[in-house]
Amino acid sequence: MPSPEPEIKNHIRRFRFDHGEMTQDQLAKQAGVTRHTIMALEAGKYFPSLLLAFRIARAFGAPVEQVFEYVEQIPDLPPR
Amino acid sequence: MSDSEKWAWWAIGVVVLIIAAYGAFVAFLGHGPATSAVFALFALTAFPASSRRHLQGRTLDERERAIASKALRAGFSAFWVAFVGLVLAIGFIKGWDTTLTVPVWALEETLWWAATLVLGVQALTTILLYRGGPHA
Repeated sequence: MPSPEPEIKNHIRRFRFDHGEMTQDQLAKQAGVTRHTIMALEAGKYFPSLLLAFRIARAFGAPVEQVFEYVEQIPDLPPR
Repeated sequence: MSDSEKWAWWAIGVVVLIIAAYGAFVAFLGHGPATSAVFALFALTAFPASSRRHLQGRTLDERERAIASKALRAGFSAFWVAFVGLVLAIGFIKGWDTTLTVPVWALEETLWWAATLVLGVQALTTILLYRGGPHA
């Protein structure tokens, strides 16, 4: 049985909210990407490069591990 | 909608227009060298400003570059499959030791159709990837 792929979750939406309702456009400009990429990141449709992850974290003034979270999904083992 | 998506929709429109115009040419004028003129419609792909920005890569960020790269790879993969399929089909249908005489316009049209295939698959893949897979 193939094991589920690990995921990188992010808390961009919450961080934007905590930073005075920062718009996706404002964050996109600070991170040097398009608003569509921010939308894709928030929707979990795109995993960013390390460089972009650091840029986004810097825009929020937070460490990268607070904005992005590595989630390893452990597969359910069948009962013996 | 990003420039790349606009380009992709426009490119699909151009491909559909080429197919329709080709069909009309063949229906009214018959199959011949004149039908190749239809492929001049390819010039339309560079017509909108968003397409020019996309083709120059001016507005692409890392996700868009990744999508553009995957889409181009999909286009050339389709070309490769079609190329191998055509070579095998000609060999099996006509015979491997047969001598074929092909007019230059027919050869050129084959190349134009290959370009149409690459463009169509590239544009379609671009749209699908923007609609989102987890790694788009």
